[in-house]
Amino acid sequence: MSQRTERRGIHVDQSDLLCKKGCGYYGNAAWQGLCSKCWREEYQRVRQKQIQDDWALAEKLQREEEEAYASSHSVRDPQSAAGHAALAPFSKFEEKKTNEKTRKVTTVKKFFSPSSRTSSKKESPEGKTPSPSISRHASFDTDQVSKDFVEFLKNLHKPGREIHKQCRAFLMNMSSKKDLGADELSECVQDFYQSLADRLTGHFKGSSESVEQVMDQVEKYIMTRLYKSVFCPETTDDEKKDLAIQHRIRALHWVTIQMLCVSMDEEIPEVSENVLKAITDVIEMDSKRVPRDKLACITRCSKHIFSAIRITKNEPASADDFLPALIYIVLKANPPRLQSNIQYITRFCNPSRLMTGEDGYYFTNLCCAVAFIEKLDAQSLNLSPEEFERYMSGQASPRFSSSDGDWPDGAQGVGVAVTNPALAQLNHNLELLSGLCSRQEAVMEAAQSLQADLLSWSESVQREVRDILEKYPLEIKSSKVSAIDTNNVDNENLPSPIKPQVFAG
Amino acid sequence: MATAGAAGSRTYSFKVVLLGEGCVGKTSLVLRYCENKFNDKHITTLQASFLTKKLNITGKRVNLAIWDTAGQERFHALGPIYYRDSNGAILVYDITDEDSFQKVKNWVKELRKMLGNEICLCIVGNKIDLDKDRNVSVEEAESYSESVGAKHYHTSAKLNKGIEELFLDLCKRMMETAQAEERAKGNGASQSASSRRGVQIVDDEPQATPAGGCCSSG
Repeated sequence: MSQRTERRGIHVDQSDLLCKKGCGYYGNAAWQGLCSKCWREEYQRVRQKQIQDDWALAEKLQREEEEAYASSHSVRDPQSAAGHAALAPFSKFEEKKTNEKTRKVTTVKKFFSPSSRTSSKKESPEGKTPSPSISRHASFDTDQVSKDFVEFLKNLHKPGREIHKQCRAFLMNMSSKKDLGADELSECVQDFYQSLADRLTGHFKGSSESVEQVMDQVEKYIMTRLYKSVFCPETTDDEKKDLAIQHRIRALHWVTIQMLCVSMDEEIPEVSENVLKAITDVIEMDSKRVPRDKLACITRCSKHIFSAIRITKNEPASADDFLPALIYIVLKANPPRLQSNIQYITRFCNPSRLMTGEDGYYFTNLCCAVAFIEKLDAQSLNLSPEEFERYMSGQASPRFSSSDGDWPDGAQGVGVAVTNPALAQLNHNLELLSGLCSRQEAVMEAAQSLQADLLSWSESVQREVRDILEKYPLEIKSSKVSAIDTNNVDNENLPSPIKPQVFAG
Repeated sequence: MATAGAAGSRTYSFKVVLLGEGCVGKTSLVLRYCENKFNDKHITTLQASFLTKKLNITGKRVNLAIWDTAGQERFHALGPIYYRDSNGAILVYDITDEDSFQKVKNWVKELRKMLGNEICLCIVGNKIDLDKDRNVSVEEAESYSESVGAKHYHTSAKLNKGIEELFLDLCKRMMETAQAEERAKGNGASQSASSRRGVQIVDDEPQATPAGGCCSSG
């Protein structure tokens, strides 16, 4: 994080401008500091290697699939084996640069990212072609983003085309730099942001809003495309840190809201609702691709925390209230891939947003919360070291020490409910359920009696009808009234029918 | 970080951190400044930990972002994460509480060590409405502030005293620092011009790269 300050200035030394191979021509940062000739050689070489690697991988996959197919016939549970075999090549394909030794960890990561798994499935048919290009990473999502981006740039006419060209060129350029370290990649992206922002400022004559608007769109477009290759890359130990913080938070499950001195009263339904929303938001962060969207999740989470504090204390929340509350939320949520997300935002977010804006403030607080959780000790929770040790080792739990130390059974439940908000919620829900149950029974009873009523009603109607029929039997009396009918044409009461007369003509 | 837009734009964006022990009145201070309210049930803001204020100082627009920090002792170690890249710091102590003044001294030492002289420091003795209970002498506070290159202010959030002056003064000083920095950059004009040209090579040349890419792939 600290390198951000140095990044602002771009230092170019005369010697840096020369080709790194030392051929005496000028090099170019876009070609990794080489001159055009050396770069072409280098690029061809890397490309050849890439193609070979891809073929090798494709062959390996083929082999593995065949093996899996063969084993699916011999293994007793063929379904699970086939399922396993189907999944493995997909995840491996996406992480094709993953070494064998890190494979195990990668699977863990995959486990936490359902989105990337599904999209990698989508890619697999395309993946058979060995030529690497950006378009291979295109899935439905990225296509949509590209479309939006082009749509947005249309409104800008000529500069829009220029921006699009720049972005395409940049992405091309980045796709050849996949092997660089995360910090170098970050620097490339940040340099791009800065040079583009400078040019835009010149173009829009200093209207910072329009510049910001364009930069947001550019960030969205670029980062959606780069996400796969730069989020939690293999060159860093982000993943190890993710797991470390995850374990740490799990180990700290016993920390209570009182120990952190959080001024939120979860007994109030509105507060606990906001707490839940805050937890959801911070977890949701992992599902977003664009750094700005991730920041927006953090901001939403923070706003919910503020509401919760506001409801509890009835005054605006200060940082003294906010930070402990955020720590509590992070502990409760244990957001997936927390460190990776923080690193990703730090590396690839548009710096103007991260440094000064409101989003930046909340992000900084999240960083603080994580730092606090990592370093948390007995003193920071106002506990004695012995107590802290006992809680950490799981020998004691602060929640039940107040209520006789054993698990709540039915009779004790009410007592425990006071100490534990989750149990209170549980009891509340149970009550609701039993209430629903009795109401359901009442409904069933009523329905049955209604059915019985209906049956007896139709019977009674039938009986009545029968009675009436018996009382007033149907008698048909011959009537004297003559009717005009074809059958009684010969009736003497009728005048003779009119005969048609023929006239001459 | 001083100027938002580089050329052409005359809007300054400053980040100011509020440091100090809990209960010295950091939050009241900003709330009074940004909302002009104290201990009021009708304060409309949801939170008082991140506040912004737009100012116009001698025809120049200034966007001030005020970052409150958690003052509890156990969060002290997190300070560097907060004050990174800030242009100014307001160090608040309670004039009735000698201990909080010692904390300010610690902060000053840390800030000077980490950020050097680029950051504008203000030391603020708050709660002067409680002057009868004063435990930090005016002379001591002022001479200390001078010795570390900070400015000293006396404020009362309750009586709304000294707060406008504090922030206005700080802004002016931060603008001076930013302008001095710009001038320093301007002096090395040839240097920056060459580096700029370097940047343009970087973002113009990629147009040639796709052509090369196409050829080699085809």
